[in-house]
Amino acid sequence: MKQVLAHLHDVSIGYDAPLIEGINVEISEGDVIAILGPSGIGKTTLLRTISGLIRPLSGEIELAIPSRGGLGYIPQRLGLVGNLSVRANVSMGARVRTSRWWPAVFPLPKVFEEDITKAMRHLGIEELAAQPVRILSGGQQRRVATARTLAQQPKLLLADEFLGELDDDNVEVVMNTVRAAIRDHNSALIMVEHHEELAREVANRIWRIKDGKLIEEMVV
Amino acid sequence: MENQGWKTHRGDGRLSRKLVGVVTVTSLLALFIFNDMVGDWGRLSGGWDNLVIFFNESLWPPDWSVLEAQSYPVCDQEVEFFCSVAWLGMVETIKIAFVATALGFVFALPLSVLAANNLSPLWMAIPARIVLAAMRSLPSIIWAVLFMIIFDVGTLAGIFAMTFYTVGYLGKLQFESIEGLKNAPLEAAKAMGMTRAETAWHIALPESANQLLSHLMFMFEYNVRHGTVIGLVGAGGIGLYINTYLKLTQYDKVVALLLVIFIVVVLIDFLSMVIRSTVTEEGDVRRPSWSTIFLPASISSKYHTTPMIKHSPNEDE
Repeated sequence: MKQVLAHLHDVSIGYDAPLIEGINVEISEGDVIAILGPSGIGKTTLLRTISGLIRPLSGEIELAIPSRGGLGYIPQRLGLVGNLSVRANVSMGARVRTSRWWPAVFPLPKVFEEDITKAMRHLGIEELAAQPVRILSGGQQRRVATARTLAQQPKLLLADEFLGELDDDNVEVVMNTVRAAIRDHNSALIMVEHHEELAREVANRIWRIKDGKLIEEMVV
Repeated sequence: MENQGWKTHRGDGRLSRKLVGVVTVTSLLALFIFNDMVGDWGRLSGGWDNLVIFFNESLWPPDWSVLEAQSYPVCDQEVEFFCSVAWLGMVETIKIAFVATALGFVFALPLSVLAANNLSPLWMAIPARIVLAAMRSLPSIIWAVLFMIIFDVGTLAGIFAMTFYTVGYLGKLQFESIEGLKNAPLEAAKAMGMTRAETAWHIALPESANQLLSHLMFMFEYNVRHGTVIGLVGAGGIGLYINTYLKLTQYDKVVALLLVIFIVVVLIDFLSMVIRSTVTEEGDVRRPSWSTIFLPASISSKYHTTPMIKHSPNEDE
């Protein structure tokens, strides 16, 4: 039986005024959810609320995942450290798998090194490992952000337009890798996506935001 | 019928008239206060002549004997210059500035992380800011006087005074840089569950490293210049020699030492610009030249044009 990872009870989200109201959904292991809707309607705000970066205006969000490392987040602007190498950025994902008492200035335990290398290899950025992230193209940076999440192995991954700027081949590589990771670790993915066709191709659930409501659509 | 064409925005003269009004009133007020403070303008008469006489009789030409070996202690160096007042004083000032900048940086860094409100909660940030403000509120010369009471006259008081001021000043520059960081990496770290220490060490510091290095170089320059001033109150370095010559009214030697300081500060300024230019964002900023230091920007730019943008081969996927 699939375990429920997150439960949103009658949640309203927004900043001053509510953008989306009355959200009642469950997210379970193996879910790949695509959020669709026009710009400015609250898709990113929904992801940020689930991630805990902002509080819901009302309602309750329950997460059945570890507070450290359980949630992965790829923001629209990726959140990479431009001055650090690709490997150092990917390593940050593995760092949250250590105990929170592991000193920040200590290098990672050796046991994680293989996972970091594997994540870079799967996404075709192993050769860029020593390059500073700031000199990479937008598409390469997206693969680095995804590799960081693979190295983290979160139970719930939130990704904000993380397939943008990728060519068709790379979309396939990234999605296959992420789907394999979701299967292997019994996790779930919620992604904001602008391209409906792509969303229907990769997701097994669709959330459409319309008129301030979240509507779940059947995926054929 | 309503005009459907282009909307035209005309310049509004009201703002510039207001600005002229404010500038005029402020200038008049400043002149009034200045006049009130000076009182007797007759004191200025003959001032220029006095300056010319002082310059010709006491300041110029500089006494370059400060570049020769001192009579005591006996010089054991092959090159006499290395036993001179100028060399010994300047080297000591640079050493004080270097040690104070390095120590100040080490203490300022954790304080700036605690003071940055995007890394620390308010109950941590406010006390850290108060500590930094307290260390910055007294100029290094006052710190020097206080430390001379504790450690007696000399280099140690100078190092402590400058370190204290450096922590306050550098800490402020650094926490402002950290607060200016982009949100995305910090938000990703928070969502992932990284601790504050991890976020500071692995994200905030590397992301603001260019600015931190730039501030560090600026602080070193600043400390070399201020090393001269705190030396005047007895805290070691070249200022101590300047103070001695001032007391002995040997102004030509003071001028010679001031010229030495000027040359050293320009050299450090140049070195600092070269180092800072290596860590600029894209790495395609042309190295500074001597013209950028000595000439105004408008003239220098004619000889030192912006280079063409370079493209890294990795930019195209």
